[in-house]
Amino acid sequence: MIFNSIRWRVQAWHSVILVLVLAGFGFTAYHVARDNQLRRVDQELEQHFILLFRPQPMDSPPAALRHGGPPDPAEILAHIRGAIQRAARFDATQANSFYHILWSTNGNVAARSPGSPMDVPYPQLARSPAADFSNAGEANVATPPAPARPFPGQPSLARTRKEFREVVHVGPFDDRLLVGRSMAADLASMRRLAFWLVIAGAAVLGLGLAGGWWVASRAIRPIEDISATAAKIAAGDLSQRISLTDTENELGHLAGVLNSTFARLESAFNNQARFTSDASHELRTPVSTILLQTQTALSRERPSSEYQETLEACQRAAQRMRQLIESLLALARLDAGQELLRRDECDLSAIVGRSIELIRPLATHRGITIQTTLSKALCRGDATRLAQVSDNLLTNAVNYNQEGGEIRISTANAQGMVTLIVTNTGAGIAAEDLPHIFERFYRADKARTSNGGHSGLGLAITKAIVQAHGGAITARSEPGSRTTFTVSLPV
Amino acid sequence: MRLLVVEDEPDLRETLKRALRENGYAVDGAADGKEGLYKAETYEYDAIVLDIMLPGLDGWELLGKLRRTRKTPVLMLTARDNVPDRVRGLDGGADDYLVKPFDLGELLARLRAVIRRSASQADSCVEIGEVVIDTAARVVTQRGVPVVLTPREYSLLEFLALHQGEVVTRTALYEHLYDENDDSLSNTLDVHVSNLRKKVGHDFITTRRGHGYCIEPRA
Repeated sequence: MIFNSIRWRVQAWHSVILVLVLAGFGFTAYHVARDNQLRRVDQELEQHFILLFRPQPMDSPPAALRHGGPPDPAEILAHIRGAIQRAARFDATQANSFYHILWSTNGNVAARSPGSPMDVPYPQLARSPAADFSNAGEANVATPPAPARPFPGQPSLARTRKEFREVVHVGPFDDRLLVGRSMAADLASMRRLAFWLVIAGAAVLGLGLAGGWWVASRAIRPIEDISATAAKIAAGDLSQRISLTDTENELGHLAGVLNSTFARLESAFNNQARFTSDASHELRTPVSTILLQTQTALSRERPSSEYQETLEACQRAAQRMRQLIESLLALARLDAGQELLRRDECDLSAIVGRSIELIRPLATHRGITIQTTLSKALCRGDATRLAQVSDNLLTNAVNYNQEGGEIRISTANAQGMVTLIVTNTGAGIAAEDLPHIFERFYRADKARTSNGGHSGLGLAITKAIVQAHGGAITARSEPGSRTTFTVSLPV
Repeated sequence: MRLLVVEDEPDLRETLKRALRENGYAVDGAADGKEGLYKAETYEYDAIVLDIMLPGLDGWELLGKLRRTRKTPVLMLTARDNVPDRVRGLDGGADDYLVKPFDLGELLARLRAVIRRSASQADSCVEIGEVVIDTAARVVTQRGVPVVLTPREYSLLEFLALHQGEVVTRTALYEHLYDENDDSLSNTLDVHVSNLRKKVGHDFITTRRGHGYCIEPRA
């Protein structure tokens, strides 16, 4: 599914947030602009009101205002009518067509400017009883939008009716004076604003989505690299590595960790492949011998002595294969940790003593002297396996020694460890070979030793057994004089 | 035909030598690379069977050094059968390649093939006039009638036939027909030549006095 992809999920969240932010912002901007527009229209209306009802120099003010006596309604009404007619004339020259309506106290239309809509309802606005012409007090019905007030102390009202905006004031004689104008032009400009807000919002959304996609793709790309490399490795090409362009970020660290994992995997795999190839190589030569021997022997009738020779050669080859197979199995078991080693109390010096007795005839045959310093060395371990360790080390010490050489064997118990040290006076191991001698099938001379019988696994098995006991084995060599193997086991 | 077997595993080497001797070859053995290189450079072998894993000097190194001086056909024996190893062996100057464990029959056939190729002879049957030498079956016929030859006589005839038109010196014949363990007297060669002439005709092998023997090519 496409929506399971991280990139698509990031993109979906990103677009939802972007749409919400843009919508909120656009909505607010629209409303602020609309309020401002209304306020401006209201101010305009109020100014018009003042302009309209301000006493004109050429007019004679109403008598009541002049004398301070009670106003004469008829006079004032006439004054207002005059004002409305003047305004109508003035308005005719203006783009914004204002209209004016005057209602007398009883709600009848007393005067109406030409062009005013006919369906304007009578504004329900009560006259403030406390207020008077001369008494300035705050209105309590509605707050007039404009600062200048034509009739201080009297309530006023601003309203929107269809596309019209109207301001109503309560006049001095409980009459109602209305100034209104059409807002068609303003509404059109608000619609334009809304249109452009939507366009701009869509553009920002588009840009935001494109940017988000780009950022998400950039963030995902290393993951795609990693995934592609891992796929190639899974397909069998273990030499592949993730190319590290930016090692500082989290994915760079991940790629580094993966690369080192791949490297270890490759080396383990190569070791395994080499081991298998070496093992098959070791098996091929004895099989060749058997094949060749039997095919030659069977090619014609032979004296029985020749058959005996053939059988002996075949037996030697088969013995060699058996030895190799046993070694391979032992290693495989130790590798897999399948073989549960016994943990018995055993004395390493006694085990080594028995190995010495086994090896002594061979050593005597080659004129090699054995010197021992065996002190009691108790440890916990598998006596059979530990015997294999000492047998291997002693056999090597004899085989790689010179005629008439010397072997020194010692066991000790010191510092919480049990040690076995075997030193021989053979030709030694070259410094470049020393780190590899515990590797499987590693041979310093790169070929089988001429006396045969050595699988090239002896030291590898020895090391595996020692490690399975939680111990360590090391080799030191001074080429030309002596070689020392040291095994240390925990008590 | 004289062969050199370079193989470090003693049982395999001795078995190979015995099997090849029984098939009419004179065979020398070498247990390591240095001995193998020395013998290969010193004697005229018709082919060398070379193991790759050798102590001292491995098969590839031996081959590299040998190719500076000699073109002796080399059949490599190896336990490794991956392609890069085979390519390396063939590019390094080996003429053929056989993976252990191998079949004796295949080894013999491949040896005959490399020896034949080195003598620029494509067919395993060599025809000289009325005489046909089947090198695969080691059988000689004259006008369709089998000629009974001892192994030594056959080897002598085969060597001369593969080098027909060339004068083969007595030294060369000794080098190619006897291995290092034979201590035959020089006149035994003349005895074999004379016996061979009795069986396939006196004019078949001509003697170039002071030089050696020769089989002239015939239609």
